Amino acid sequence: MIENPNIPEAVRAVAADGTQLRYALMEMAREMEDIITLGRGDPDLPTPPHIVEAANRAMRDGLTGATDVKGMLPLREAIAEHMRAVNSLALGADNVMVTTGGQEGLFLAVQAVINPGDEILVPDPRYSSYDDAIKRAGGRMVMVPTTRADAFNLEAEAVEAAISPASKALLIVTPSNPTAGIVTEDRLRAIAEVAKRHNLIVIVDEIYGKVVYPPWRHFSIGSLPGMAERTITLDAFSKAYAMTGWRCGYAAGPADVIDAMARIKQVTTGPVATVSQWAGLAALTGPQDCVGEYLDIYIQRRKVLLAGLDRMGFAYGEPRGGLFVWADSSSTGIHAAELSYLLLQEGRVLIFPGTAFGEKWRDYVRITMLEPIETLSAAVERMLPVLERYRM
Amino acid sequence: MNPPTSLARPLADRVAALPELAAPTIENPPLPPDVIAAAEEALARGETHYTDRPGIPEFRAWVAAHLLDRWGVGVDPSEVTITCGSTEARYVAMTLLAEPGSAVLCPGDSSRIEGALRLLGARVVDSIQADVRLLYITPAVYRETALELLKQAEDRGWWIVWDLSFAALDDFHPAQNEALAKRVVTINSLSERMPGWRLGWMAGSEAALRLRAGKQAITICTTAVSQWAGLELVRAGDA
Repeated sequence: MIENPNIPEAVRAVAADGTQLRYALMEMAREMEDIITLGRGDPDLPTPPHIVEAANRAMRDGLTGATDVKGMLPLREAIAEHMRAVNSLALGADNVMVTTGGQEGLFLAVQAVINPGDEILVPDPRYSSYDDAIKRAGGRMVMVPTTRADAFNLEAEAVEAAISPASKALLIVTPSNPTAGIVTEDRLRAIAEVAKRHNLIVIVDEIYGKVVYPPWRHFSIGSLPGMAERTITLDAFSKAYAMTGWRCGYAAGPADVIDAMARIKQVTTGPVATVSQWAGLAALTGPQDCVGEYLDIYIQRRKVLLAGLDRMGFAYGEPRGGLFVWADSSSTGIHAAELSYLLLQEGRVLIFPGTAFGEKWRDYVRITMLEPIETLSAAVERMLPVLERYRM
Repeated sequence: MNPPTSLARPLADRVAALPELAAPTIENPPLPPDVIAAAEEALARGETHYTDRPGIPEFRAWVAAHLLDRWGVGVDPSEVTITCGSTEARYVAMTLLAEPGSAVLCPGDSSRIEGALRLLGARVVDSIQADVRLLYITPAVYRETALELLKQAEDRGWWIVWDLSFAALDDFHPAQNEALAKRVVTINSLSERMPGWRLGWMAGSEAALRLRAGKQAITICTTAVSQWAGLELVRAGDA
């Protein structure tokens, strides 16, 4: 609850709805001039040229007719091959479908699995855009705590403690949005045992799986023994290949649940735009240098941003993957939503308050590293005086 | 390890009610070179990021102008959302404006909304019933029948979804009646001319912002390059 009357009603009215709060701030920023936006998870880097050229070729050749709702076969085969090679998942084309971005993948998976009254375990903090999908299915979110002291890793014991007879699924997002933590292989092995013991479905969002900072590495829980039949793995081209606007992602899992998700997609959004599927095919089958080059850029930016946060007096769990820093702003003594508003109005920097990712995270903010180093440095310089002015 | 065939637990009950997968539309009409050029230009200038969640402002402005020019219906561009085909527009409108357990009145072909309503747990009826909350209607419905049902909608406070996609159009629009306008959502699609580009829109009503949020929650925004290609097509008067 934000009670400060100096904060506009447009922000206060939506403060309890994480997604709407984020969009209210973004829309406010759009009306302002000279704003540095470190809010939305939209890579500033371009889609690599060979991917754009593949899309151009498809358009020029008229290869843009509608596809099967699961996606065109060459792309599904390429996804299956890629996930076999990179994620060690046992998949064929029947185990894969193309989705309109990663967010739709989660929507489809939840609709296919969750009945009204079923519980789905969700790590806290969470990417709140998933709330709507769970609510639409009549599911009930049960939070599983994670902590900064543990770098927001997920503990099997915490998962098990949250299980009830109504539990049907566990959602894992690794690397995590918003915390930038990863669920490490040892933890995933322990969590897999819990999932098998309690017959849980695991829905795992791996959209940031190619953006992991060494020495950490990404691991897919679906590759573990006994997990293939209970895991739905979600991914998208959006982040690793800077392709957010193409709206192209994919889901992998047992053939029957993929078939169910496709039947849901058929009556909700239809197939993915064909031009985006050609772009996705080029992304997976073309040179992968761009993924490493982009990761190197994020590594350099991360250093700059973390140094800035040190100057600002913000603590943080080590960002191990993803495109964000999840920082503890409690040293300011200001509610995160109010702090975000002040930084936007007076510092002209857009960041997101922690309350946009869970009600209790009033002492955290999420800051993206999706601007060049010079801009990140400028953002820090803009935020410092605002913090000095208001720090309690 | 063999690829898995069955999930370890039963699927959600709603899945059983859904139609089987259909073959894709095979029509793929050629597009004017200017449309492809506009799409390539958009990509060249870096239109590869999320767009505004309701869609690019230029397309939303075109939809608002189109409704005004064609039918005299005033809609602000902020009340327009570009969608992944009319399928997404119908799904979002049905599920946000109808309620689980309620009925949607559909005088005519209901095949395009049945799946969405099964997911919601609502049902289609072809006659007035006490739990109707929404009238789904298209220009294909006989005009006298349409006018009578729209009168009922006005009296009973139903939402109205006016679906222009795949229909022959004339000069009539339910939102020309000012008493109805705030409860009319207009839906249309470019799928006849651009079937694989997944482009449609929904516009108008006092629920417009809620509908926009509903779309955002599923697909965030509509494919950017499709929007730029579609904009060129409609500006040329070719859709």
